[in-house]
Amino acid sequence: MRITLSMRERKNPYIPVEAEKIVPSILMKGTDVTVYEGNKERRLADLFEITVEGEAASVDEVEVVLRGDTSRVKRVGEYMDGGRITVEGDIGMHCGNFMAAGTIEVRGNAAGWFARELRGGTVICRGNAGHYCASGYRGEKKGMRGGKVEVFGDAGDFAAEHLSGGEVVIHGDCGDMAGVEMRGGTLTIHGDCARPCGNMTAGTCTVLGTVLGMIPTFERTGEIVGPDGGTLTAFVGDIANRGKGKLFIRNFQYLE
Amino acid sequence: MNELLVKNAYVIDPINRINGEVMDIAIRDGRIVEDVGPKATVIDAGGCLTLPGGVDSHTHVCGTKVNFGRYMSPEDMRAGRVARRGVKHATSGYSVPTTYANSYRYAVMGYTTLLEGAMAPLEARHTHEEFSATPLQDMMANTLFDGNWGIMNAIRDGDQERVTEIVGWTLSAVKGFGIKLTNPGGTEAWGFGKNITCIKDEVPNFGVTPIEIILAMIRACETLRLPHSVHLHCNNLGNPGNYACTVGTFNQVPDLNEKRQTLYATHVQFHSYGGSDWKTFCSKAEPVAYTVNNRPQIVIDMGQVMFGKTTTMTADGPMEFNLYRLHHDKWSNHDVELETGSGIIPVYYRRKNLVNSVMWAIGLELALLVKNPWQCMLTTDNPNGAPFVKYPEIIALLMSKKYRDAEFATVHPETGSRVVLPALDRELDWNEIAVMTRAGQAKALGITGIGKGHLGLGAEADIAIYPIRVGEVDPAQEYRKVIDAFSRTKYTIKRGRPVTRDGEVLVHGENTTIWVDPKMGPGHDISQDTEFVKMFDRYYSVRMSNYPVQDEYLKRSLRMETEAVF
Repeated sequence: MRITLSMRERKNPYIPVEAEKIVPSILMKGTDVTVYEGNKERRLADLFEITVEGEAASVDEVEVVLRGDTSRVKRVGEYMDGGRITVEGDIGMHCGNFMAAGTIEVRGNAAGWFARELRGGTVICRGNAGHYCASGYRGEKKGMRGGKVEVFGDAGDFAAEHLSGGEVVIHGDCGDMAGVEMRGGTLTIHGDCARPCGNMTAGTCTVLGTVLGMIPTFERTGEIVGPDGGTLTAFVGDIANRGKGKLFIRNFQYLE
Repeated sequence: MNELLVKNAYVIDPINRINGEVMDIAIRDGRIVEDVGPKATVIDAGGCLTLPGGVDSHTHVCGTKVNFGRYMSPEDMRAGRVARRGVKHATSGYSVPTTYANSYRYAVMGYTTLLEGAMAPLEARHTHEEFSATPLQDMMANTLFDGNWGIMNAIRDGDQERVTEIVGWTLSAVKGFGIKLTNPGGTEAWGFGKNITCIKDEVPNFGVTPIEIILAMIRACETLRLPHSVHLHCNNLGNPGNYACTVGTFNQVPDLNEKRQTLYATHVQFHSYGGSDWKTFCSKAEPVAYTVNNRPQIVIDMGQVMFGKTTTMTADGPMEFNLYRLHHDKWSNHDVELETGSGIIPVYYRRKNLVNSVMWAIGLELALLVKNPWQCMLTTDNPNGAPFVKYPEIIALLMSKKYRDAEFATVHPETGSRVVLPALDRELDWNEIAVMTRAGQAKALGITGIGKGHLGLGAEADIAIYPIRVGEVDPAQEYRKVIDAFSRTKYTIKRGRPVTRDGEVLVHGENTTIWVDPKMGPGHDISQDTEFVKMFDRYYSVRMSNYPVQDEYLKRSLRMETEAVF
């Protein structure tokens, strides 16, 4: 089953749409659902042109395709438990919140809180992701617990904050404070980042680029061979918090 | 003219010495009157238990620290979500819910008057704004004076008159109700990374001791003739062996007021611990209750702990830091310049944990060992011991030995060797419960005069009708029925208007903020005192003219004016 949602022209395209119902398991039962545009409740068909092809016996056979300007559509794939969502353009905040299974692929850029508190499944962004990619929510102790997040572009600040399980791969650069409060899982950054992994207690973070503003509370333990064959400096920390996380870095410059 | 007649009500009204009489209650324009005309709306109570509206004399529902608890707990806000419906706002949260959730849940349990336990004067506006969003209860705010620089300096200089003037000016400036001391001196010491262990320790940089602060504030409170006494959270909360400090404090309190207590000691459960460390931790409810029994000038509230998830929040910053070191979880710490501070930590009280089990038992022991119910109020220090929605269970525990034994069988097996609870056979009756949940609280707060906590002629028509017939239920055996009845009123009537029926909220409501304005006469206006103004300009980050809370912050306000006698 393939459900295509094409965004209609909107009078004011800046008003966010709260679209937590754009999830394969809900749409396979029917597309007559409502979403909020700002504070107004709208039928999904008022905002999107909907075409449904084929049938599905289980949620895993469902693919939802989003077209058009979806950069203000929020909470797509929240609590998703199977199937596939493909976003052809950009996607708004909180895409893939609490997702447990299935696949989300964003061909454009993702806004903030991408794949927040992911529990399972795969989330891919071909462009850049905003701040708090694969992180926990403000005040939450545990962030992402499982699954895989892959960002081919850059990620903003606080990527993989509170990471406690699963795998996060960022092929571009990260902003400030990637992997802070990490307590499990693996984070791989192919580009550069600043001040990573403060207060981490467990887990593994690998930075194949340069770290600016390296935090002094990590103990240097030696060198290892990285996944690309080059050498990486190994650290354990954050010792300020009696942490035993592993941090591997290609180049670094200490915080002044 | 708005008239209402409640018929066939089985009334228990301890202040007017009515203990179980079936009668009709006539209400006109929000007040209880002799009789009403034939056109009055009639509510048939059907012989059900009818009590004055509930009064909670110590709860944390509004203000900056409650709000901080909300933002640091997204997991709490995901619980208890209810969509907007009819007159009700959307609500969410369990231990630190939104203001409307607090208001609706309290109203459904029959509570109509609440006292916010701690309001930092500098942040009073926030508290008053949240009051106006708690529409179904009348609100009061105890104002924090535990680390007030002006007051501590005046105490060191031995200038009692000045202490009184600062208290009076601050109370009317921030529209507060009473004096709250939270770990007096301790929070100020915490500003320098230290704490205070008991009443004889000196506060760093000020050269005063907590007992000097407590006694000076008691004298100021009586000079200003405030309706409520000093409201004290003793030093050394939550540490093994702290009962000695609690008893020591109580022993120093003089009896200065005929109408009410001289000291209200709050959440005494957290202050009745024996032992020298966590391994030898045990209950010392007996010596504390003995002290209270021998001192009519003291009223306490339980601060009962109930098992489950909750959030602790207090102005006692150092204590929250100690809790943080135990739990290693989220922690918030906050300093209020020149005045006080606060801390917040989410906790989970577990039956399988020995310390938590002992804490649970101590609260009940206090309520059962204090002989006079007018001296021990039923609270959980919401949400520190448990969210207030647990009150019905506490009522049932106090009324039924059988229920206590059944619960006791599920707690940590070693609890029995550290507490006296299993040996206590006392079962409270309906009248005593009415005292501990409304009449006693209203009397302790000094608001019976404005018609709270009783159903006499001229009283405010705040009434709770519970769906239970007293004669037909044996609370000692059928405790489930007691819990159900106290969880959901048949009707809650606020100011003569039914606000909930069978758990459904009926009106949007509009609350009254009750505050105290002490008149001190010429020559006692501290805001004209050059030394005080100089201190204010030098240390506060706000200007004195911007400090008082303007009238616009209070939608409906009830000003209780008092005449100070110096």
